[in-house]
Amino acid sequence: MKTSAIPTHPLPLTAEQAEAMEQRHIKKHHIAIMLLHWFNAMVWGLELMTGLALVSSPHFRVVPMWFLELVEGLFGPRSNLLRAHLTVGMVWIVVFLAYGLFGGKTYLTKEVLQKEIALDRDDFQWLRIRVLGILGRSKEPLPPQGIYNAGQKLFALMVYAMLPIIMLTGLIMAFHLFGTAAVGWAVLIHFVTVGVVVCGLIVHVYMGAVFPEEKPAFFSMITGTVNELFAYSHHFKWWREVKLEDEIWLHQRRSSEDAVPPARGGSDPGQNTVG
Amino acid sequence: MTRYAMVTDLRKCVACQACTASCNAEWEVPAGLSRTQIRKTPIKGTFPKLVAGTLVAQCAHCDDAPCVPACPSAATSKDAKGIVQVNRDVCIGCGFCVEACPYEARFINPVIKKVDKCDFCSPRLERGQLPACVTTCPANAKFFGDLDDRNSEVFRMVFSEGASRRDTPEIAVGPNVYYLGKREQVDLVMASYPPRPPKLPVAGVLWERAAKPLVIGAVAMTFLGQAAAFFQQLRIGEKEHED
Repeated sequence: MKTSAIPTHPLPLTAEQAEAMEQRHIKKHHIAIMLLHWFNAMVWGLELMTGLALVSSPHFRVVPMWFLELVEGLFGPRSNLLRAHLTVGMVWIVVFLAYGLFGGKTYLTKEVLQKEIALDRDDFQWLRIRVLGILGRSKEPLPPQGIYNAGQKLFALMVYAMLPIIMLTGLIMAFHLFGTAAVGWAVLIHFVTVGVVVCGLIVHVYMGAVFPEEKPAFFSMITGTVNELFAYSHHFKWWREVKLEDEIWLHQRRSSEDAVPPARGGSDPGQNTVG
Repeated sequence: MTRYAMVTDLRKCVACQACTASCNAEWEVPAGLSRTQIRKTPIKGTFPKLVAGTLVAQCAHCDDAPCVPACPSAATSKDAKGIVQVNRDVCIGCGFCVEACPYEARFINPVIKKVDKCDFCSPRLERGQLPACVTTCPANAKFFGDLDDRNSEVFRMVFSEGASRRDTPEIAVGPNVYYLGKREQVDLVMASYPPRPPKLPVAGVLWERAAKPLVIGAVAMTFLGQAAAFFQQLRIGEKEHED
């Protein structure tokens, strides 16, 4: 293959280049992932609301009484509240199990996780500069990022660590597994792990929906695509990967067109790149 | 207002367990467990001046019941008639109330996996019947009634005859189960079975003392941090991509 013209690190763009790139869109999320994301968001909204209202003891309550009364007003008697919490939670667990079962081979492979979740040296740099930048303390350029930036990776790591615990403690409480003492501890652990996720969630919602520079990332969860300029400036490593794949695909298509006749049983040129 | 109370006359009780049996039958309590407990004190004194007594224990439906705040989900609450009720549709069987009870009146029912205890036979009361233990007692040693009714038997026993209840200066949560008898007999029973201090299990203590402030603190700090970032964003103004 001829040497690629794709830059190895982000170069300054001319205004025309930037404008052209802004018009082109790159696919970022599969429709299944978008649906899962919004389903998950809905579940968290419902479960947080009902869960917070379920904890009513003065020893443990974390929300004011009026909030409890408000939620009880929405759901009726407290038994409905618990039933709603358990039902939504069970649906959530089933959907995520299905995701693991059917999407696991695509989204939860070692390669994907390494690329999308594991933090590298650039990521730690990025975190430092990003935080200082938001506080107005740094003007350094951010290091190039993969398909997800270090903040998104950290959030994903935390969520992947907490989700099984939240689900397991929820099941322990719902079905009184492993005895009474286990249920008592499960209540505590459920509360703490959810608290940890909520901290991340606040940052996640702010960065996703409010922070101006990440707005295309928010819309990518609705449209599934981001414009190329955003990919270039925020997720350079990923942009480069996409470009290289396109190039390989083009190259292979061109060479397969040249070859007469195409080798039977040979590899399909599109197979490795599209999908 | 109604304030139900139970009085046991220790002079009549012979620890025959009829109350326990009828209670277990009425409420289908699994074998080996019971909502009522009969405990006999050792015999004290020297012949011929001997004293012995029987503790007839059940949920005391305390005025200031420690099990109510211990319940994370408010499955346990005091109703309008002073009965401490358990809403089984809300109970998750965490056992916090079991440890909170000074009278060991609560247990986790292994069949339903929720907490179980005496509710003064509330469904029977609604039908106009007395609690099963009261109607069954062959010696007629148990009395049930309303302490707010000045004409009731229990009012007379508690306020005129001076029935005692199991509390100490430290642990006085207002139990509504009283004991009547010879002074030395009642004293022996009260001294033999003092209430235990209400407490939360370790998970509950950690929740209240550590997890709650930490989680509230962390969430508040994160929120304030993001709020600060938001105001910074407003101050700087939104810039379109410049690079």
